[in-house]
Amino acid sequence: MRYLFVLLLLSMQYAQAQQSLLINSYGTYNSTGVRRQVADAFFYGGLIDSSQIKQSLDQLQARNTFGLQMGLNAQWQSPWMVSKDQKKWGSSYRWVFGAGVNQYAGLQFSKDFFGLVFRGGLPYTGDTLDLSNLRAQATTFSKLGVGLYNPTTQSSFLVHFVAVQQHLGATIQKGTWFQDPSTAQINLDLIGQANLSSFSSNTYGVAIDIDYRFGASDSSANEPQFQLSIQNLGFARCFQSSTYSLDGSLAYAGFTLAEWQQTNLQALASAYLDSLGFEQTTGPSWILLPAQIQLAKTLDWDSPQRLEAYYGAQFMLRQTYTPLVYVGAQLKVKQAWHTGLGMAYGGFGGLRMQAYSAFRFKHSELLLRSDNIALQNGASIYLQYRCDF
Amino acid sequence: MRWIGFVVIAAFFVSCKKDATRWQTEWLLPVLNDTLSLAHYYNDSTLSINGSQIDINLSRTLLDLSLTDLVKIPDTSISQQYQSNFTVNNVTPGFVFVNSVKVHELDLGDIQLKKVRVQSGQIQLKVYNPLNTAVLYQIELPGVSQNGQAFVQNYTVQPGTAQNPTTATENIDLSGYEIDLGGLQGLEFNQLQSKLTLKTDPNGQTVTIYNNQVFKYEATFKNLRFDYAKGYFGSTLIADQQQFTLPYLDKITSGTLSLPDLSLDLQIENGFKMALRAQIEQLSATNTQGQSVALNAPSIGPSMYISPAVGNWNTLQPSTLNLHFDQNNSNIKSYLENLGAYQQLSYQLQPNPWGNTSAGHDEAFAHSHLRLKVSAQMPMALSADGLTLQDTFELNLAQNLQKSHVTAATVVLDATNAFPLACDLVLYFMKDGQILHTVIADAQLASALLGQIDPSDGLLKKKSKIKIVLPPALVADLQDLNEVAVSASFATTDPSTGLAVQQQVQANAFLALQLQLQLQTQIRP
Repeated sequence: MRYLFVLLLLSMQYAQAQQSLLINSYGTYNSTGVRRQVADAFFYGGLIDSSQIKQSLDQLQARNTFGLQMGLNAQWQSPWMVSKDQKKWGSSYRWVFGAGVNQYAGLQFSKDFFGLVFRGGLPYTGDTLDLSNLRAQATTFSKLGVGLYNPTTQSSFLVHFVAVQQHLGATIQKGTWFQDPSTAQINLDLIGQANLSSFSSNTYGVAIDIDYRFGASDSSANEPQFQLSIQNLGFARCFQSSTYSLDGSLAYAGFTLAEWQQTNLQALASAYLDSLGFEQTTGPSWILLPAQIQLAKTLDWDSPQRLEAYYGAQFMLRQTYTPLVYVGAQLKVKQAWHTGLGMAYGGFGGLRMQAYSAFRFKHSELLLRSDNIALQNGASIYLQYRCDF
Repeated sequence: MRWIGFVVIAAFFVSCKKDATRWQTEWLLPVLNDTLSLAHYYNDSTLSINGSQIDINLSRTLLDLSLTDLVKIPDTSISQQYQSNFTVNNVTPGFVFVNSVKVHELDLGDIQLKKVRVQSGQIQLKVYNPLNTAVLYQIELPGVSQNGQAFVQNYTVQPGTAQNPTTATENIDLSGYEIDLGGLQGLEFNQLQSKLTLKTDPNGQTVTIYNNQVFKYEATFKNLRFDYAKGYFGSTLIADQQQFTLPYLDKITSGTLSLPDLSLDLQIENGFKMALRAQIEQLSATNTQGQSVALNAPSIGPSMYISPAVGNWNTLQPSTLNLHFDQNNSNIKSYLENLGAYQQLSYQLQPNPWGNTSAGHDEAFAHSHLRLKVSAQMPMALSADGLTLQDTFELNLAQNLQKSHVTAATVVLDATNAFPLACDLVLYFMKDGQILHTVIADAQLASALLGQIDPSDGLLKKKSKIKIVLPPALVADLQDLNEVAVSASFATTDPSTGLAVQQQVQANAFLALQLQLQLQTQIRP
């Protein structure tokens, strides 16, 4: 009976303590030059007509990026204190549990590469196409973790167990394509590598999420509060990944009659792969997860100012991602409705207009944001929901 | 009502079905890059360069029989055994109890050999010991020798029993051995001698030889080939009817070809020291239209006799018979201009037509051959008028229209022609032999006669660019098509008169081809 009483007491204590559920989902794709209609065709289907390809080509620079991010993360900030002893530091922290699924895909490519893929080789006969500095990175992973959070400062720290479902890292450091207009001979020089691991490759790792709040603790100080957020900082070990490498040159001008008659196509293709220095190896490898580091001014619901600025910056540990900065003005329409309009630059895209709206209800908050309101080569939607109970 | 709701929901989801992402690309794909010339045939007894022109210098061997083909000893086994008629007691160690010679007759048909030398082959020896002590076997083949030493093999065979004799087996290479088949006196033929000597183990025990114990050996000659033979090689008739197809001529479907005057020689070579009778019974050719022409000449039909070769080993001089065919003594021109792809030759060859007149002194050496050769010489010149070659190739270009696929294609042929022939190309795309699409090239592969002399190599040559546009309907049908027939129609048209005239092929003439495919593809990732 005594144990039952203690359990009942604890339950009542937990029921009275505040706990929160945070859901954060996002989906965004962007490019520095590829028009949105081109990317949309990959998501919604349809024909990419030549005018869209031409308009994209006109916008492309020597180096361009295209990227895609999607994710769904949930966090339960439990009412359970780490320590009930008020003298111990753990009494200031509660347990927090998190889980999520994230996907990152980034592509860095040259204008020539885009042209070759979307127009073919015929329009470029006689031109030397630069395929160098092609970089493709894609990672899909899920995570499950536990950590601590401070209800006072809202700062938190979580350690996650990570399972990587798919990973691709490919680069072409040097690549040129030339097709002779008279003989149609194709000259291809390639130096590159690719590392590939799939769900069956048993890829697991660890990652940490840090949410650190600093600056003024409330609006009375009339100073902003900032959030330093580090997510998915970690690594994974793939026990069976495939690595492909190319380092060679290929000159293909067609086959002779004897080659057509005596050799099968598979053998000829193999010979050309040999001349390109193609090698394939299999073995374990390390994967650096696409960590996201963000420093931003936080939204202050109780700010006395009706109009104020918001700003922030975001960085990812990925070579295909350029740092994102954004700045804008936010308007307190009502006490429970804030909305903002600003500009963003970086990430996978160029300069574009963003907007957000945040709503506060009795026990919950909802934030909707898009970085692609205007001047966009992509689309994005961010949704954050917090429920306190 | 429930099913209406289901249909509405289903229709909603179907209408939301994602259309495939796709875009069009254009590619230029080199397919063929080759230069066709007659260089591979120069100086290999087909073509030769004579000044600024090419001569056909054809030399082909239609029949080549060597000593191995004519004189054979089939795989043969001989054996010799000893069995006592009574029981012999107290046989002491080292006792010799058999020492006998046996003559074996070889069945070689009407061939009577006195002597041969083995070029390659083996003999397998197997001996059986039924005695309860070791026995020393000495096997001697008196007529088989190498460097004057007779073939002798000694074996010590471990003790056995009458029911389970101990055996010993060995394979011996006979290469280089001479075999005298003249028997004991050297006057016989096809006779092989063997001698078996048996001795009990000198260090063994005293034993008893029972009358049920069989001491024997077996010798098997295998795969014997000779580089020398002497005797009577028989008079077996070698009669054959050879049929062969001349390449490319079977692809001619229409048109005519006119050749310059030429001659053809048939040579019969006898490298054996024996008399030979030869008879060319018939030489005829049938073209793809089914028209046959037989070569008519005085030497076709009757028997001809060829004297024996003379000399020995390295001094051997074959005896030859030359049959010459030209416009004066045959219909060789019409025979060749019939473009007969299917050639038929009937002949007879008979050694020693008058029997064993050499008294068993026929001889053959390593270099002895019985050959039938054909040779022809003429300047390479021809007059073609719509000479059409057609060949059919299998086609497997099935593509999945739901994945990336070709939507339009154009075949581009860049050619440099140094032959005095113009060519019109037509492609027939077929399904199970039925023509579904016919595609005609937009231009003619021009004759070198329309070109100019290239100062770099002194050759008259002409460049052509031909486009063969495959219409969309054909591309759409590609997955159903399984054959393509390529029809090439040649003409040696005089540029000034427009008439087909005889043209000489210039030395080092070539046809350089670059075949490219212009493809329009729909990419569906």
